[in-house]
Amino acid sequence: MSDATFATAADAIEPPTERSRLLSIAIHTALIAASIVMLYPLIWMLAGSVKDQNEIFGTASLVPSHFDFSSYIRGWEGTQVSFGKFFWNSLVIAVLSVIGNVMSCSLAAFAFARLKFWGRNFWFALMLGTLMLPYHVTLIPQYILFLELGWVKTFLPLVVPKFLAVDAFFIFLMVQFFRGIPRELDEAAMMDGCSAWRIYWKVMLPLSLPVLATAAIFSFLWTWDDFFGPLIYLSDINTYTVQLGLRSFVDSTGSSDWSGLFAMSSLSLVPVFLIFLFFQRLLIEGIATAGLKR
Amino acid sequence: MGNQRTAIAGEPVVRISTLAPRQKFPGALARNAPAYLFLLPWFIGFFGLTLGPALVSLFLSFTDYNLLQPPHLVGLDNYARIATGDDKFISSMKVTLFYVICSVPLKLVFALAVALLLNRGIKGLPVYRAIFYLPSLLGSSVAIAVLWRQLFDSDGVVNTILWQFGIEGPSWISNPNYSLYTLIVLAIWQFGSPMIIFLAGLRQIPIDMYEAASLDGASKTRIFFKITLPLLTPVIFFNAVVQTIDAFKAFTPAYVISSGTGGPIDSTLFYTLYLYQEGFGYFRMGYAAALAWILVIIIAVFTAFSFLSARYWVHYDE
Repeated sequence: MSDATFATAADAIEPPTERSRLLSIAIHTALIAASIVMLYPLIWMLAGSVKDQNEIFGTASLVPSHFDFSSYIRGWEGTQVSFGKFFWNSLVIAVLSVIGNVMSCSLAAFAFARLKFWGRNFWFALMLGTLMLPYHVTLIPQYILFLELGWVKTFLPLVVPKFLAVDAFFIFLMVQFFRGIPRELDEAAMMDGCSAWRIYWKVMLPLSLPVLATAAIFSFLWTWDDFFGPLIYLSDINTYTVQLGLRSFVDSTGSSDWSGLFAMSSLSLVPVFLIFLFFQRLLIEGIATAGLKR
Repeated sequence: MGNQRTAIAGEPVVRISTLAPRQKFPGALARNAPAYLFLLPWFIGFFGLTLGPALVSLFLSFTDYNLLQPPHLVGLDNYARIATGDDKFISSMKVTLFYVICSVPLKLVFALAVALLLNRGIKGLPVYRAIFYLPSLLGSSVAIAVLWRQLFDSDGVVNTILWQFGIEGPSWISNPNYSLYTLIVLAIWQFGSPMIIFLAGLRQIPIDMYEAASLDGASKTRIFFKITLPLLTPVIFFNAVVQTIDAFKAFTPAYVISSGTGGPIDSTLFYTLYLYQEGFGYFRMGYAAALAWILVIIIAVFTAFSFLSARYWVHYDE
């Protein structure tokens, strides 16, 4: 994926001419215009969070006449429960989900990629089949199950499934990566009498840090953004995640506190944005592999 | 353990089973046990949270069940009502199909067009790629749905900009003629993730094919239609299937923008939102299970058709 090492279609076709220089300017103009359109809503929201209440609407300007950060304090306090609580809840659920997904999916992926056992192809096909299955079809019985277990209104229905490798996408991603690791390495370990567990733990996992990180990042993002799960399982405002907190903020303050709402909306995107800044390469490679290696 | 590696297809077979001769039965157990232990969490999840619940929901779809009384069988009543007498089912299906048919092709066209522009070896590719990718990363959160509602509000930014051109914009969100379009625009805005996949696909096209074609004097249009597009069809296929399934499953933006109602006048009543209302608003669990199975069938039929059609237009190299 390195940008410098790849020649592109254009290099082969056209030698640099006056015409191609003009074309390049035109392309950059179009791309910059598109970039502005893409980023405008986000910047408008960020600007809205420090604007005066009546300055938000009725003007398309991105520059506030003055910066008023009190909206962040007002928003953070929330209506009944502080946003600090919502952030904490989201963080707990997301971190536990990351741990669960990475552990359970790498275990399953190791078995599918490296171990030979009766029924491997059958189970692997079933696992791939669950990739296509919309979650709606398991939703209601799962809800009933968690209700019977007394787990509704706790974090358990949101976290425990992650420890049971229900997200087949990550298994698939890891199987692809594990298959790329030279078999000689674990064969050598096996010759030395290593158990399957030791090969998984001492050989495969240390060599698979990129894919484990990719899975961890996507787990975090998807759990952080998840709205449907918390909407169904969490009804006590003290257990709300950031997404539910934002929704309740809209409902309870209505149209009265736009800057507070924008402040909290912007804050809720900060973790996602930080991950984007620091792990962009892993994210992009993760999606590209998922798309190309089928 | 020694027997495990004896018959992996295409691998040089190294037999070390002579080191540890075992009887047949314990041998089989010893060979299989580690793998099944590794798969234990997945097995529990697969049977307990996927296969089991899927079968239970199939059963529930033939019952009347409100969580309080035990489910009682009603035969095909739920499906019959869906097929004949449910206006909300019809309107939610229309809304969802319209959303899928509009948003998916437009999103893919944008993604492909921008990927083609970015693949011309332009300077600043990583920056542009990052900017275009960012919205698809943020897009599914409640914050963005909230933001969208304000952008398209009657005195929101969109109308302010239109007003500067002398156009009096409608109230996009509260007008049933336009509300769904705001959700379609939101979906297109998130074209970044298929764009990344297109870019990666474009980079896999061997450069010597282009060189050969341009030496033969082929025009750029011809090269695009004869080389780039055919070689990209597997990626187009993948993106189309994934984006369509995702579009069928969309929920959060419609829920937030319509405050959970699917309004105005059911104009943003996504199928998933209707299912949610039936199941978790009215606790008609049997009916909601039937709705869920119909969604599965629709997605399955669509996927089957895509894969059948693929052999006519998707170019697979040997």
